[in-house]
Amino acid sequence: MEPIIRAKNIKKYFKVPSGNLLAVDDISFDIFEGETLGLVGESGCGKSTAGRTVIRLYEPTGGELFFKDKDVFKMNKRELHDVRKDFQMIFQDPYASLNPRMTVLDIVAEPLDVHGIPANSKERYERVIQLLDRVGLSEEHAMRFPHEFSGGQRQRVGIARSLATEPKFIVCDEPISALDVSIQAQVVNLLQDLQDEMGLTYLFIAHDLSMVRYISDRVAVMYLGKFMELAESEELYNNPMHPYTKALLSAIPVPDPAIQRARKRIMLEGDVPSPINVKPGCRFVERCSYAKDICRSESPEFKEYSTGHFVACHLTEEIN
Amino acid sequence: MSKLLEVKNLEISFQTFFGEVEAVRDVSFTLGEKETLAIVGESGCGKTVTASSIIKLLPQPPAFYKGGQILFEGEDLVTKTEKEMQKIRGQKISMVFQDPMTSLNPTMKVGKQIAEGIMKHQNMSYDEAKKRAIEILDMVAVPEPEKRINQYPHEFSGGMRQRVMIAIAMVSNPKLLIADEPTTALDVTVQAQIMDLMKRLKDNLNTAIILITHDLGVVADMADDIIVMYAGQIVEEGTANDIFDNPIHPYTKKLLYSVPRPDMKKDERLHSIEGSPPDLYIPPKGCSFFDRCDYAMNICRENNPQFTKHSDTHMSRCWLNQKQAKEGN
Repeated sequence: MEPIIRAKNIKKYFKVPSGNLLAVDDISFDIFEGETLGLVGESGCGKSTAGRTVIRLYEPTGGELFFKDKDVFKMNKRELHDVRKDFQMIFQDPYASLNPRMTVLDIVAEPLDVHGIPANSKERYERVIQLLDRVGLSEEHAMRFPHEFSGGQRQRVGIARSLATEPKFIVCDEPISALDVSIQAQVVNLLQDLQDEMGLTYLFIAHDLSMVRYISDRVAVMYLGKFMELAESEELYNNPMHPYTKALLSAIPVPDPAIQRARKRIMLEGDVPSPINVKPGCRFVERCSYAKDICRSESPEFKEYSTGHFVACHLTEEIN
Repeated sequence: MSKLLEVKNLEISFQTFFGEVEAVRDVSFTLGEKETLAIVGESGCGKTVTASSIIKLLPQPPAFYKGGQILFEGEDLVTKTEKEMQKIRGQKISMVFQDPMTSLNPTMKVGKQIAEGIMKHQNMSYDEAKKRAIEILDMVAVPEPEKRINQYPHEFSGGMRQRVMIAIAMVSNPKLLIADEPTTALDVTVQAQIMDLMKRLKDNLNTAIILITHDLGVVADMADDIIVMYAGQIVEEGTANDIFDNPIHPYTKKLLYSVPRPDMKKDERLHSIEGSPPDLYIPPKGCSFFDRCDYAMNICRENNPQFTKHSDTHMSRCWLNQKQAKEGN
């Protein structure tokens, strides 16, 4: 299978008064057509920046991103405008990502208008109703304003908008973390149905590790701007190799008292260090219980350890 | 186990422009000493209102106690005056809030914020209180407490701020700690640290905890007993094992199955709960879960079910489990 997205050495640095903030530092990955790549990590690890850089909402500092063999990072404004039809995004906060002064009809139709798709207002209206119907809303919702909807319904409006141009690839940036547990399941089921029907490809960014495991085919673990590990989701959860992944997975509380209380957890000390002017060496070294001298001096390579299982750790063989 | 807290038929409403919102309706539970009770439910189900009402932090008006009693060590807190409550708050009952970013005073040094409570309740001088503040920061595992007490909250990370919040709450060794979503704003690895800390403190200081959360994983880790709330009412209560191994109310079941379990297959669908909770301006006449329930019957629309006992510890509020329904099968 050919990858639909090939990201090579993507970098995104932000200039801050005290130096460079390395939000995304040299990450590479492929996403295949119709699959879901999960991207997990703690807050501040750069996962949202990575998602936004991939669809060029942020201008990248370096790297290449191929979408069907064309480098999106090298495109001019006009080419980018056209390719954006195939790229969409679902945002985290359904309260802030919908314009409160626009009706749902106009919100969902906006991408259509931008790309000049509907020939007349009747076609535009019909297309919007189709989209609303697809995400489980109905015609009566079209003339309402965002404040008249609950969080779950708003997220559906956001999804309808992202589907308007019939995209191939959608970046879902924490689409469920602002929602209640029972509503989360509704939205996740909807996203999966849409994927099955329309053959969509997702980059699913989240910090809820059990949800990511459930929805993703493959999962990448990010820490301080770098990928630590990437593998098929079952493989990653059953056989984590990087010390950070191990700690992260053992920190998820399991909703079953018998299992949860019997588990031995790897407790990480301290907090995520600052991504400003990072020192050479492994990013995780300060919190890693296995750290050796080499980890402080050299940054580990992101290597394929077994088929499809990538790990960035000097001590992979030693630990496992 | 002796009773520390007994809430009887508590009813709390809010007077608003549009009318009365019945946020808590007929809630009763008891909490023993050293026990951990978790209150779970969706946002807006009344769990925070229930917990804040115990420590009387609800602004009155718009909130008012419509009925019921809150017996803490045998005394009814509902009838206490504000002055009497000030002696109890922070000393016998403390609270930790959800958002450690906004619940500390940004213009006040952390040491002073901790010392404030000590000076008020234990009649200590500022210097003595400061010493105690260092001790307590050390206890909640904040590194370099001597240096840290002279810093401001913005110099602390989220996890460290939550430790400070816990330090403030625990400083006078309260009998009861109310923790309102204490780990929701934190990352999983930090959440694990805070949960670990709370369990350690509870064992060392013999504090009872009321834990409010929507994260069933956190509940599974800490709770002895669980209360499931929906639309201002308790729909099921029992021990952690009762609720997780043998859930009875349809809402509890759906709640448990709406989160992905580790052993779940890829092609299995999550059980979503369609629709949204009812509007409490006009609480439904019958069972409040009626609209979203797969098993709804005519009687559910008309009459609100009473509690049925399934065992000494396990109760649920559902017509399906009433004796008559069982006989019909």
